[in-house]
Amino acid sequence: MSAVEAIDLRRSFSSRTSVLRRAKETVEAVRGVSFVIERGEIFGLLGPNGAGKTTTIKMLITLLLPSSGSAKVLGYDVARDAVKVRRRIGYAFGGDRGLYDRLSAQDNLRYFAELYAVPPRTQRARIGELLELVGLRGREKERVEGYSRGMRQRLHIARALLHDPAVLFLDEPSIGIDPVGARELRATVAALAGQGKTILLTTHYMFEADELCDRIAVIGSGRILAEGTPADLKSRVRGGRVLEVETFGVLDESVDDVRRLDGVRSVTVEARTQSQVLHVSMDSEAELTAAVLGRIGDVRVGRVASREPTLEDAYVELIGER
Amino acid sequence: MSAIRIFWIGGLISFRALFHWLNPWIYVPTLLVAPLFQILLFVYVGRAARIESDSFFLIGNALQGAAVPCLFAMGHTIAGERFTQTLGLLLTTPASRVPLFLGRAAPVVANGWIVSMFGLGVGGVLVGVDIPPDRWVPLALVVALASASCTGLGLINAALGLKVRQTATFSNIIVGILLVVCGVNVPLAALPTWLRAVSEWLPLTHAVEAARLLADGDTLRSVVPLLGREAGLAAGFIVVGLVILRAFERSSRRTASLERQ
Ligand SMILES: Nc1ncnc2c1ncn2[C@@H]1O[C@H](COP(=O)(O)OP(=O)(O)O)[C@@H](O)[C@H]1O
Ligand SMILES: [Mg+2]
Repeated sequence: MSAVEAIDLRRSFSSRTSVLRRAKETVEAVRGVSFVIERGEIFGLLGPNGAGKTTTIKMLITLLLPSSGSAKVLGYDVARDAVKVRRRIGYAFGGDRGLYDRLSAQDNLRYFAELYAVPPRTQRARIGELLELVGLRGREKERVEGYSRGMRQRLHIARALLHDPAVLFLDEPSIGIDPVGARELRATVAALAGQGKTILLTTHYMFEADELCDRIAVIGSGRILAEGTPADLKSRVRGGRVLEVETFGVLDESVDDVRRLDGVRSVTVEARTQSQVLHVSMDSEAELTAAVLGRIGDVRVGRVASREPTLEDAYVELIGER
Repeated sequence: MSAIRIFWIGGLISFRALFHWLNPWIYVPTLLVAPLFQILLFVYVGRAARIESDSFFLIGNALQGAAVPCLFAMGHTIAGERFTQTLGLLLTTPASRVPLFLGRAAPVVANGWIVSMFGLGVGGVLVGVDIPPDRWVPLALVVALASASCTGLGLINAALGLKVRQTATFSNIIVGILLVVCGVNVPLAALPTWLRAVSEWLPLTHAVEAARLLADGDTLRSVVPLLGREAGLAAGFIVVGLVILRAFERSSRRTASLERQ
């Protein structure tokens, strides 16, 4: 039995456009998403804002019913067997909210330990263990309102683990955390997977997905655009290379000219403070470097380099294909 | 076992989580002192107009004083979770909802009782109404029932909080209705017949009447029918509140009504 199985999940939202008018607007947030996560896997959902990642997770954790399609977690249907699913999953989302600010970390955990029916005899030890795991030992008596973003995030994860769930849903757990904190978080997630937990993770950070995930689904506009191991996804842009050209004041028309070159697959422009870096994904570099530089025109050009495609290139290409 | 713990321990932790901002600097002026002004106002209006006794207004307004904390606090037990964005987390737990929400109601009833008893005691001293010592135990019981029925109505209001954001608005309206319709300041006999019929189905009406009889020296036994009515209403409100909570929690999965801030 797979840990998570989503079959053609769809979800739309309808909302009033204004208080007075009766007119309704319908947003199709998820439009037919299917995937399977095996036990012990870390599965990444990658996609831009508004792609439907959170909505997909909310259906899997029983907070929203699918408009159509179905999903099972550890064999239990998320619509019909909600309570059985709830007992077996943990859920944490990124950001500052979702905690009782005026309680200490320990009391936040105690409250949810009661709601998850963690036996009173083992509760104290369990909370201590989790505080240790997420590195909040010694700070547990402080009120959460004084916690940094990273500490809150780690507390979220501790809360999600109280009842030792087999499947963990982490929605952008590393959002807004400093690099050191993010690295520690990745280590924690990897350790949990090492204990045999199944983890569904959403993130915007490619290297994070690359480092952690066994498999990744790229999602855009509510649909899965590609799925596979990080290596699979990278190989989609293999056979090609990426040319990075730093320019100072490149014109949009010139970028379009580069796009039209034979052998160029896609071009993205990364705006930096002073310069713009063109990432030109192409079939082969040899003949094209000169042509690309030719099309850029008279503007000053800085560093020019060629490199292997990364997961980010694969992602950008997939999202761009839409 | 876990239901009992969710009721007691969970109820107390969540009360602290949601109401920790009520430090003494806010609590004393808002919940203890402000109701005294209402008592004084109506007692003086009553004296000036030569209608009803001081004790009539003291008891009515002291009991109505429980309505404010009970309705607002109960509404906040769900509306406050929207604010901290913990409502979704709460509702993805497998915890049984009946002890979860009743546990949130219990401290609210206790608090309403404290507020009301304070108004009765201190208000009585201020306006010079002497309530004999042997009356306090039966009065305390009536106040507890009044707090429970106000909290029951608050639970219905809280349940609406799963669907809409305006629970505080509803609380304001209900408190106003209770002030006018339940015989707190306006004798029931002075109300139009249809309003009197409405008052039969509201919290406070029977408790206020019972409290006045007790203060006048009637025995507890003689007001049992009134207390029974108040207790029945409290139980009824609580059951209706729990049913609505259940229904709205279900429909929220379909309509995504928990998402709105
Ligand atoms: N409760 C809601 N009501 C209306 N639209 C919603 C609601 N929740 C999400 N959406 C819309 O659905 C789409 C997908 O949102 P979401 O799943 O949050 O995306 P992601 O997590 O990938 O950023 C967005 O267009 C978003 O505006
Ligand atoms: Mg999201």
